[in-house]
Amino acid sequence: MKKILPITNAIIAVISGLFVLLGYFFPGVFGGIQSTLIGWAIILAAIALLLGIFNLAMVHWKKIGSDGPGKINSIALLVSLIITIIVVSISGPTGSWSLWIFNSFQVPVEVSLLAVLAVILVYAGARLLARRPKWNTILFLVTVLVVLLGSVPLFFVGEITPLSIVRGWLAQVPAIAGARGLLLGVALGTVATGLRILIGVDRPYGG
Amino acid sequence: MEQVLSSITNFLSILFILLCLGLILFYLLSDRRREKINLRSIQAFTHFRRDVDLAVEAGKRLHISLGRGNINDLQGGSAFIGLTILDRCARAASNSDRPPVTTSGDGVITILSQDTLRSTYRSLATEERYDPTNARLTGLTPMAYAAGAMPAIHDEQISANIFAGHFGTEIALLTEAGERSRSLTVAGSDSIPAQAVLYATSDEALLGEELYAAGAYLGAGSAHSASLRMQDILRWVLVVAIMIGAIVKLFGILP
Repeated sequence: MKKILPITNAIIAVISGLFVLLGYFFPGVFGGIQSTLIGWAIILAAIALLLGIFNLAMVHWKKIGSDGPGKINSIALLVSLIITIIVVSISGPTGSWSLWIFNSFQVPVEVSLLAVLAVILVYAGARLLARRPKWNTILFLVTVLVVLLGSVPLFFVGEITPLSIVRGWLAQVPAIAGARGLLLGVALGTVATGLRILIGVDRPYGG
Repeated sequence: MEQVLSSITNFLSILFILLCLGLILFYLLSDRRREKINLRSIQAFTHFRRDVDLAVEAGKRLHISLGRGNINDLQGGSAFIGLTILDRCARAASNSDRPPVTTSGDGVITILSQDTLRSTYRSLATEERYDPTNARLTGLTPMAYAAGAMPAIHDEQISANIFAGHFGTEIALLTEAGERSRSLTVAGSDSIPAQAVLYATSDEALLGEELYAAGAYLGAGSAHSASLRMQDILRWVLVVAIMIGAIVKLFGILP
Protein backbone atom coordinates (compact mmCIF):
# COMPACT_ATOMS: atom_id res chain seq x y z
CA MET A 1 0.00 0.00 0.00
CA LYS A 2 2.88 2.33 0.91
CA LYS A 3 4.35 1.84 -2.57
CA ILE A 4 1.07 1.89 -4.51
CA LEU A 5 -0.17 5.21 -3.09
CA PRO A 6 2.75 7.39 -4.31
CA ILE A 7 2.52 5.84 -7.79
CA THR A 8 -1.25 6.47 -7.90
CA ASN A 9 -0.65 10.08 -6.80
CA ALA A 10 1.92 10.54 -9.55
CA ILE A 11 -0.37 9.05 -12.22
CA ILE A 12 -3.29 11.28 -11.16
CA ALA A 13 -1.04 14.38 -11.13
CA VAL A 14 0.51 13.63 -14.54
CA ILE A 15 -2.81 12.85 -16.26
CA SER A 16 -4.56 15.89 -14.73
CA GLY A 17 -1.67 18.17 -15.69
CA LEU A 18 -1.63 16.81 -19.23
CA PHE A 19 -5.39 17.39 -19.72
CA VAL A 20 -5.18 20.95 -18.33
CA LEU A 21 -2.24 21.73 -20.63
CA LEU A 22 -3.96 20.24 -23.68
CA GLY A 23 -7.08 22.25 -22.82
CA TYR A 24 -5.15 25.47 -23.49
CA PHE A 25 -4.08 24.37 -26.98
CA PHE A 26 -7.20 22.43 -28.05
CA PRO A 27 -10.10 24.07 -26.19
CA GLY A 28 -12.65 22.42 -28.46
CA VAL A 29 -11.58 18.88 -27.55
CA PHE A 30 -10.15 19.22 -24.03
CA GLY A 31 -11.78 22.49 -22.86
CA GLY A 32 -14.59 20.68 -20.96
CA ILE A 33 -12.35 18.33 -19.02
CA GLN A 34 -9.91 21.19 -18.38
CA SER A 35 -12.57 23.39 -16.76
CA THR A 36 -13.86 20.43 -14.70
CA LEU A 37 -10.35 19.71 -13.39
CA ILE A 38 -9.71 23.39 -12.61
CA GLY A 39 -13.09 23.50 -10.81
CA TRP A 40 -12.04 20.52 -8.67
CA ALA A 41 -8.70 22.21 -7.98
CA ILE A 42 -10.50 25.33 -6.74
CA ILE A 43 -12.71 23.25 -4.42
CA LEU A 44 -9.65 21.40 -3.09
CA ALA A 45 -7.86 24.74 -2.57
CA ALA A 46 -10.83 25.97 -0.49
CA ILE A 47 -10.69 22.80 1.65
CA ALA A 48 -6.91 23.25 1.98
CA LEU A 49 -7.56 26.79 3.21
CA LEU A 50 -9.85 25.48 5.96
CA LEU A 51 -7.23 22.89 6.93
CA GLY A 52 -4.62 25.66 6.94
CA ILE A 53 -6.70 27.75 9.33
CA PHE A 54 -7.17 24.67 11.53
CA ASN A 55 -3.37 24.21 11.43
CA LEU A 56 -2.88 27.86 12.45
CA ALA A 57 -5.25 27.36 15.41
CA MET A 58 -3.43 24.15 16.39
CA VAL A 59 -0.01 25.85 16.33
CA HIS A 60 -1.22 28.62 18.65
CA TRP A 61 -3.13 26.22 20.91
CA LYS A 62 0.14 24.32 21.35
CA LYS A 63 1.96 27.60 22.07
CA ILE A 64 -0.51 28.46 24.84
CA GLY A 65 0.25 25.13 26.50
CA SER A 66 4.03 25.58 26.27
CA ASP A 67 6.38 27.82 28.29
CA GLY A 68 7.69 29.68 25.23
CA PRO A 69 7.31 33.43 24.56
CA GLY A 70 4.28 35.02 22.91
CA LYS A 71 1.56 33.23 24.90
CA ILE A 72 -0.57 36.39 25.07
CA ASN A 73 -0.36 36.83 21.29
CA SER A 74 -1.51 33.25 20.76
CA ILE A 75 -4.47 33.75 23.12
CA ALA A 76 -5.39 36.99 21.30
CA LEU A 77 -5.20 35.21 17.94
CA LEU A 78 -7.42 32.31 19.02
CA VAL A 79 -10.01 34.60 20.66
CA SER A 80 -10.07 36.84 17.55
CA LEU A 81 -10.39 33.80 15.29
CA ILE A 82 -13.36 32.42 17.23
CA ILE A 83 -15.12 35.81 17.44
CA THR A 84 -14.58 36.45 13.71
CA ILE A 85 -15.92 32.99 12.76
CA ILE A 86 -19.03 33.54 14.92
CA VAL A 87 -19.67 37.08 13.64
CA VAL A 88 -19.13 36.20 9.95
CA SER A 89 -21.31 33.08 10.31
CA ILE A 90 -24.18 35.19 11.69
CA SER A 91 -23.71 38.42 9.72
CA GLY A 92 -22.46 36.90 6.44
CA PRO A 93 -19.17 37.71 4.66
CA THR A 94 -20.40 41.14 3.49
CA GLY A 95 -22.60 41.90 6.50
CA SER A 96 -22.18 45.16 8.43
CA TRP A 97 -20.57 43.48 11.49
CA SER A 98 -18.12 41.52 9.31
CA LEU A 99 -17.15 44.69 7.45
CA TRP A 100 -16.80 46.54 10.76
CA ILE A 101 -14.29 43.91 11.97
CA PHE A 102 -12.43 44.13 8.65
CA ASN A 103 -12.31 47.94 8.52
CA SER A 104 -11.61 48.47 12.22
CA PHE A 105 -8.93 45.83 12.80
CA GLN A 106 -7.55 44.24 9.63
CA VAL A 107 -7.14 47.41 7.53
CA PRO A 108 -5.47 49.62 10.21
CA VAL A 109 -3.06 46.85 11.25
CA GLU A 110 -2.04 46.18 7.64
CA VAL A 111 -1.62 49.90 6.91
CA SER A 112 0.60 50.26 10.01
CA LEU A 113 2.74 47.37 8.77
CA LEU A 114 3.02 49.11 5.39
CA ALA A 115 4.31 52.20 7.16
CA VAL A 116 6.85 50.08 9.07
CA LEU A 117 7.82 48.51 5.73
CA ALA A 118 8.59 51.94 4.25
CA VAL A 119 10.90 52.76 7.20
CA ILE A 120 12.60 49.35 6.95
CA LEU A 121 13.26 49.83 3.22
CA VAL A 122 14.86 53.26 3.79
CA TYR A 123 16.97 51.83 6.62
CA ALA A 124 18.00 48.82 4.49
CA GLY A 125 19.03 51.14 1.66
CA ALA A 126 21.22 53.15 4.02
CA ARG A 127 22.74 49.99 5.51
CA LEU A 128 23.44 48.41 2.13
CA LEU A 129 26.74 50.19 1.62
CA ALA A 130 28.09 48.82 4.91
CA ARG A 131 26.83 45.34 4.08
CA ARG A 132 28.13 45.14 0.49
CA PRO A 133 30.74 47.80 -0.24
CA LYS A 134 30.95 47.13 -4.00
CA TRP A 135 30.62 49.29 -7.09
CA ASN A 136 27.21 47.83 -8.01
CA THR A 137 25.89 48.78 -4.55
CA ILE A 138 26.99 52.39 -5.18
CA LEU A 139 25.31 52.26 -8.61
CA PHE A 140 22.13 50.89 -6.99
CA LEU A 141 22.02 53.65 -4.37
CA VAL A 142 22.81 56.43 -6.88
CA THR A 143 20.02 55.15 -9.13
CA VAL A 144 17.58 55.08 -6.18
CA LEU A 145 18.51 58.69 -5.30
CA VAL A 146 18.17 59.92 -8.90
CA VAL A 147 14.79 58.20 -9.31
CA LEU A 148 13.54 59.60 -5.98
CA LEU A 149 14.74 63.16 -6.64
CA GLY A 150 13.49 63.06 -10.23
CA SER A 151 10.03 61.82 -9.24
CA VAL A 152 8.88 64.63 -6.95
CA PRO A 153 9.23 68.43 -6.88
CA LEU A 154 11.73 69.53 -4.18
CA PHE A 155 11.30 72.19 -1.48
CA PHE A 156 12.15 75.70 -2.76
CA VAL A 157 13.62 74.26 -5.97
CA GLY A 158 10.58 72.66 -7.60
CA GLU A 159 11.05 70.09 -10.33
CA ILE A 160 14.62 69.58 -11.56
CA THR A 161 14.18 68.96 -15.30
CA PRO A 162 17.50 67.15 -16.01
CA LEU A 163 16.84 64.76 -13.12
CA SER A 164 13.30 64.11 -14.40
CA ILE A 165 14.71 63.31 -17.86
CA VAL A 166 17.33 60.94 -16.40
CA ARG A 167 14.65 59.33 -14.21
CA GLY A 168 12.42 58.80 -17.25
CA TRP A 169 15.29 57.22 -19.20
CA LEU A 170 16.26 54.99 -16.24
CA ALA A 171 12.68 53.80 -15.83
CA GLN A 172 12.05 53.28 -19.54
CA VAL A 173 15.33 51.75 -20.76
CA PRO A 174 17.68 50.01 -18.24
CA ALA A 175 14.97 49.17 -15.68
CA ILE A 176 12.63 47.66 -18.26
CA ALA A 177 15.48 45.81 -20.00
CA GLY A 178 16.67 44.37 -16.67
CA ALA A 179 13.15 43.43 -15.56
CA ARG A 180 12.47 41.68 -18.88
CA GLY A 181 15.74 39.76 -18.60
CA LEU A 182 14.81 38.61 -15.09
CA LEU A 183 11.27 37.74 -16.21
CA LEU A 184 12.58 35.63 -19.12
CA GLY A 185 14.76 33.70 -16.65
CA VAL A 186 11.80 33.24 -14.31
CA ALA A 187 9.56 32.12 -17.20
CA LEU A 188 12.10 29.51 -18.35
CA GLY A 189 12.46 28.29 -14.76
CA THR A 190 8.68 28.04 -14.36
CA VAL A 191 8.33 26.08 -17.63
CA ALA A 192 11.13 23.72 -16.53
CA THR A 193 9.49 23.19 -13.10
CA GLY A 194 6.07 22.57 -14.67
CA LEU A 195 7.45 20.08 -17.18
CA ARG A 196 9.40 18.17 -14.52
CA ILE A 197 6.18 17.74 -12.56
CA LEU A 198 4.20 16.93 -15.72
CA ILE A 199 6.48 14.03 -16.67
CA GLY A 200 6.52 12.81 -13.07
CA VAL A 201 10.29 13.09 -12.46
CA ASP A 202 9.77 15.73 -9.76
CA ARG A 203 7.02 14.99 -7.22
CA PRO A 204 6.69 17.75 -4.65
CA TYR A 205 3.37 16.25 -3.51
CA GLY A 206 4.95 13.43 -1.53
CA GLY A 207 4.55 10.97 -4.38
CA MET B 1 -7.17 36.72 -39.54
CA GLU B 2 -7.43 36.62 -35.74
CA GLN B 3 -8.14 32.88 -35.84
CA VAL B 4 -5.07 32.28 -38.06
CA LEU B 5 -2.87 34.27 -35.65
CA SER B 6 -4.28 32.31 -32.69
CA SER B 7 -3.57 29.00 -34.50
CA ILE B 8 0.01 30.09 -35.26
CA THR B 9 0.54 31.14 -31.58
CA ASN B 10 -0.87 27.79 -30.41
CA PHE B 11 1.37 25.89 -32.82
CA LEU B 12 4.48 27.81 -31.72
CA SER B 13 3.61 27.28 -28.04
CA ILE B 14 3.21 23.53 -28.53
CA LEU B 15 6.50 23.48 -30.46
CA PHE B 16 8.23 25.37 -27.62
CA ILE B 17 6.88 23.01 -24.95
CA LEU B 18 7.84 19.93 -27.01
CA LEU B 19 11.33 21.39 -27.50
CA CYS B 20 11.70 21.95 -23.73
CA LEU B 21 10.36 18.46 -23.00
CA GLY B 22 12.67 16.90 -25.59
CA LEU B 23 15.72 18.67 -24.16
CA ILE B 24 14.88 17.66 -20.58
CA LEU B 25 14.39 14.00 -21.58
CA PHE B 26 17.55 14.04 -23.72
CA TYR B 27 19.73 15.37 -20.87
CA LEU B 28 17.97 13.16 -18.32
CA LEU B 29 18.92 10.07 -20.33
CA SER B 30 22.37 11.23 -21.45
CA ASP B 31 23.45 12.46 -17.99
CA ARG B 32 22.55 9.21 -16.28
CA ARG B 33 26.09 7.84 -16.67
CA ARG B 34 27.80 11.11 -15.73
CA GLU B 35 28.82 11.23 -12.12
CA LYS B 36 28.92 14.99 -11.67
CA ILE B 37 27.85 18.03 -13.65
CA ASN B 38 29.94 21.17 -13.32
CA LEU B 39 27.90 24.16 -12.17
CA ARG B 40 29.12 27.73 -11.83
CA SER B 41 29.57 28.81 -8.24
CA ILE B 42 26.63 30.69 -6.71
CA GLN B 43 27.60 32.16 -3.35
CA ALA B 44 24.07 31.86 -1.94
CA PHE B 45 24.04 28.06 -2.31
CA THR B 46 27.58 27.73 -0.89
CA HIS B 47 26.53 29.71 2.18
CA PHE B 48 23.26 27.80 2.36
CA ARG B 49 25.06 24.43 2.61
CA ARG B 50 27.48 25.77 5.21
CA ASP B 51 24.66 27.23 7.31
CA VAL B 52 22.60 24.05 7.21
CA ASP B 53 25.63 22.18 8.59
CA LEU B 54 26.21 24.86 11.23
CA ALA B 55 22.54 24.76 12.27
CA VAL B 56 22.72 20.99 12.76
CA GLU B 57 25.92 21.27 14.78
CA ALA B 58 24.65 24.11 16.95
CA GLY B 59 21.31 22.40 17.61
CA LYS B 60 19.45 25.30 16.04
CA ARG B 61 16.59 25.41 13.58
CA LEU B 62 16.20 26.25 9.91
CA HIS B 63 13.24 28.33 8.82
CA ILE B 64 11.96 27.82 5.28
CA SER B 65 9.37 30.30 4.06
CA LEU B 66 7.46 29.27 0.95
CA GLY B 67 5.66 32.54 0.26
CA ARG B 68 2.01 33.01 -0.64
CA GLY B 69 1.92 31.78 -4.22
CA ASN B 70 -1.14 30.00 -5.52
CA ILE B 71 -0.33 26.74 -7.28
CA ASN B 72 -3.24 27.24 -9.69
CA ASP B 73 -1.29 30.21 -11.03
CA LEU B 74 2.15 31.02 -12.49
CA GLN B 75 3.40 31.74 -8.95
CA GLY B 76 3.19 28.02 -8.19
CA GLY B 77 6.52 27.36 -9.95
CA SER B 78 8.58 29.15 -7.33
CA ALA B 79 6.58 27.52 -4.51
CA PHE B 80 7.43 24.08 -5.93
CA ILE B 81 11.12 25.05 -5.87
CA GLY B 82 10.60 26.02 -2.23
CA LEU B 83 9.23 22.52 -1.57
CA THR B 84 12.34 20.99 -3.17
CA ILE B 85 14.52 23.16 -0.91
CA LEU B 86 12.40 22.09 2.09
CA ASP B 87 12.99 18.44 1.22
CA ARG B 88 16.77 19.00 0.99
CA CYS B 89 16.79 20.93 4.29
CA ALA B 90 14.79 18.24 6.11
CA ARG B 91 17.22 15.59 4.84
CA ALA B 92 20.30 17.64 5.75
CA ALA B 93 18.90 18.40 9.21
CA SER B 94 17.77 14.83 9.85
CA ASN B 95 20.47 14.44 12.56
CA SER B 96 19.53 17.70 14.24
CA ASP B 97 17.59 17.87 17.52
CA ARG B 98 15.36 20.53 16.01
CA PRO B 99 13.57 19.81 12.74
CA PRO B 100 13.10 22.69 10.25
CA VAL B 101 10.04 24.90 10.53
CA THR B 102 8.09 26.00 7.45
CA THR B 103 5.79 28.98 7.03
CA SER B 104 3.53 29.82 4.08
CA GLY B 105 0.69 32.12 3.15
CA ASP B 106 -1.50 29.74 1.16
CA GLY B 107 -3.54 26.73 2.32
CA VAL B 108 -2.45 24.44 -0.53
CA ILE B 109 1.24 25.25 -0.05
CA THR B 110 0.86 24.52 3.68
CA ILE B 111 -0.66 21.10 2.97
CA LEU B 112 2.06 20.39 0.38
CA SER B 113 4.81 21.41 2.81
CA GLN B 114 3.36 19.06 5.45
CA ASP B 115 3.22 16.32 2.84
CA THR B 116 6.83 17.00 1.77
CA LEU B 117 8.06 16.83 5.38
CA ARG B 118 6.11 13.63 6.02
CA SER B 119 7.37 11.89 2.87
CA THR B 120 10.95 13.02 3.53
CA TYR B 121 10.90 11.63 7.08
CA ARG B 122 9.20 8.46 5.82
CA SER B 123 11.96 7.93 3.24
CA LEU B 124 14.56 8.39 6.00
CA ALA B 125 12.64 5.95 8.26
CA THR B 126 12.24 8.69 10.90
CA GLU B 127 8.50 9.20 10.60
CA GLU B 128 8.18 9.88 14.34
CA ARG B 129 9.96 13.23 13.77
CA TYR B 130 7.04 14.50 11.71
CA ASP B 131 4.98 17.17 13.44
CA PRO B 132 2.24 18.91 11.41
CA THR B 133 2.73 22.13 13.40
CA ASN B 134 6.22 22.50 11.92
CA ALA B 135 4.59 23.39 8.59
CA ARG B 136 2.36 26.39 9.25
CA LEU B 137 -0.04 28.70 7.56
CA THR B 138 0.75 32.10 9.05
CA GLY B 139 -1.67 34.43 7.25
CA LEU B 140 -3.63 34.85 4.06
CA THR B 141 -2.90 38.45 3.10
CA PRO B 142 0.66 39.67 2.39
CA MET B 143 0.99 41.61 5.65
CA ALA B 144 -0.79 38.99 7.77
CA TYR B 145 1.55 36.36 6.35
CA ALA B 146 4.63 38.44 7.19
CA ALA B 147 3.30 39.33 10.65
CA GLY B 148 2.60 35.66 11.37
CA ALA B 149 6.00 34.46 10.15
CA MET B 150 8.04 37.03 12.12
CA PRO B 151 7.50 35.41 15.58
CA ALA B 152 8.76 32.10 14.17
CA ILE B 153 12.03 33.84 13.19
CA HIS B 154 12.35 35.63 16.55
CA ASP B 155 11.23 32.96 19.01
CA GLU B 156 12.29 29.57 17.70
CA GLN B 157 16.12 29.72 17.79
CA ILE B 158 16.45 30.01 14.03
CA SER B 159 20.00 30.04 12.67
CA ALA B 160 19.18 30.45 8.97
CA ASN B 161 16.13 31.56 7.01
CA ILE B 162 15.49 30.39 3.46
CA PHE B 163 12.81 32.30 1.58
CA ALA B 164 11.80 30.58 -1.66
CA GLY B 165 8.48 31.27 -3.33
CA HIS B 166 6.23 34.12 -4.33
CA PHE B 167 6.53 37.23 -2.17
CA GLY B 168 5.88 40.93 -2.52
CA THR B 169 7.70 43.81 -0.86
CA GLU B 170 6.46 42.51 2.53
CA ILE B 171 9.49 40.18 2.45
CA ALA B 172 11.52 43.13 3.82
CA LEU B 173 9.70 42.64 7.16
CA LEU B 174 10.87 39.03 7.23
CA THR B 175 14.48 39.73 6.23
CA GLU B 176 14.58 42.49 8.85
CA ALA B 177 13.34 39.99 11.46
CA GLY B 178 16.15 37.66 10.36
CA GLU B 179 18.69 40.49 10.66
CA ARG B 180 17.47 41.37 14.16
CA SER B 181 17.67 37.76 15.36
CA ARG B 182 21.17 37.53 13.79
CA SER B 183 20.25 34.66 11.52
CA LEU B 184 21.38 34.34 7.90
CA THR B 185 18.84 34.95 5.14
CA VAL B 186 19.06 33.31 1.71
CA ALA B 187 16.16 34.40 -0.45
CA GLY B 188 14.77 34.12 -3.96
CA SER B 189 11.44 34.99 -5.52
CA ASP B 190 9.72 35.04 -8.89
CA SER B 191 8.46 38.58 -8.30
CA ILE B 192 10.53 41.53 -9.59
CA PRO B 193 9.61 43.94 -6.73
CA ALA B 194 10.55 41.25 -4.19
CA GLN B 195 13.88 40.65 -5.95
CA ALA B 196 14.67 44.38 -5.79
CA VAL B 197 13.89 44.39 -2.05
CA LEU B 198 15.92 41.21 -1.49
CA TYR B 199 18.96 42.69 -3.21
CA ALA B 200 18.96 45.42 -0.58
CA THR B 201 17.85 43.51 2.51
CA SER B 202 18.94 39.86 2.39
CA ASP B 203 22.37 38.37 3.09
CA GLU B 204 22.26 36.29 -0.09
CA ALA B 205 19.76 37.06 -2.83
CA LEU B 206 18.89 34.64 -5.63
CA LEU B 207 18.04 36.77 -8.65
CA GLY B 208 16.11 35.78 -11.79
CA GLU B 209 16.45 32.13 -12.70
CA GLU B 210 18.97 31.37 -9.90
CA LEU B 211 16.11 30.28 -7.63
CA TYR B 212 15.03 27.69 -10.20
CA ALA B 213 18.54 26.18 -10.18
CA ALA B 214 18.21 25.32 -6.46
CA GLY B 215 17.33 21.65 -7.09
CA ALA B 216 20.44 21.11 -9.24
CA TYR B 217 22.74 22.89 -6.76
CA LEU B 218 21.35 21.08 -3.73
CA GLY B 219 21.53 17.64 -5.34
CA ALA B 220 17.79 17.03 -5.67
CA GLY B 221 18.24 14.64 -8.60
CA SER B 222 19.25 14.37 -12.23
CA ALA B 223 15.91 15.80 -13.42
CA HIS B 224 16.84 19.16 -11.89
CA SER B 225 20.25 19.17 -13.60
CA ALA B 226 18.65 18.17 -16.92
CA SER B 227 16.10 20.98 -16.73
CA LEU B 228 18.85 23.45 -15.80
CA ARG B 229 20.75 22.53 -18.95
CA MET B 230 17.54 22.93 -20.96
CA GLN B 231 17.15 26.44 -19.49
CA ASP B 232 20.76 27.28 -20.43
CA ILE B 233 20.23 26.28 -24.06
CA LEU B 234 16.92 28.12 -24.37
CA ARG B 235 18.42 31.21 -22.77
CA TRP B 236 20.98 31.33 -25.58
CA VAL B 237 18.22 30.74 -28.15
CA LEU B 238 16.33 33.71 -26.67
CA VAL B 239 19.47 35.88 -26.65
CA VAL B 240 20.07 35.13 -30.35
CA ALA B 241 16.38 35.76 -31.18
CA ILE B 242 16.44 39.12 -29.34
CA MET B 243 19.68 40.14 -31.11
CA ILE B 244 18.27 39.22 -34.53
CA GLY B 245 15.06 41.12 -33.71
CA ALA B 246 17.05 44.21 -32.67
CA ILE B 247 19.22 44.11 -35.83
CA VAL B 248 16.20 43.61 -38.08
CA LYS B 249 14.47 46.58 -36.44
CA LEU B 250 17.65 48.70 -36.65
CA PHE B 251 17.76 48.24 -40.42
CA GLY B 252 14.10 49.11 -40.73
CA ILE B 253 12.97 45.69 -42.00
CA LEU B 254 10.40 45.45 -39.19
CA PRO B 255 7.98 48.36 -38.57
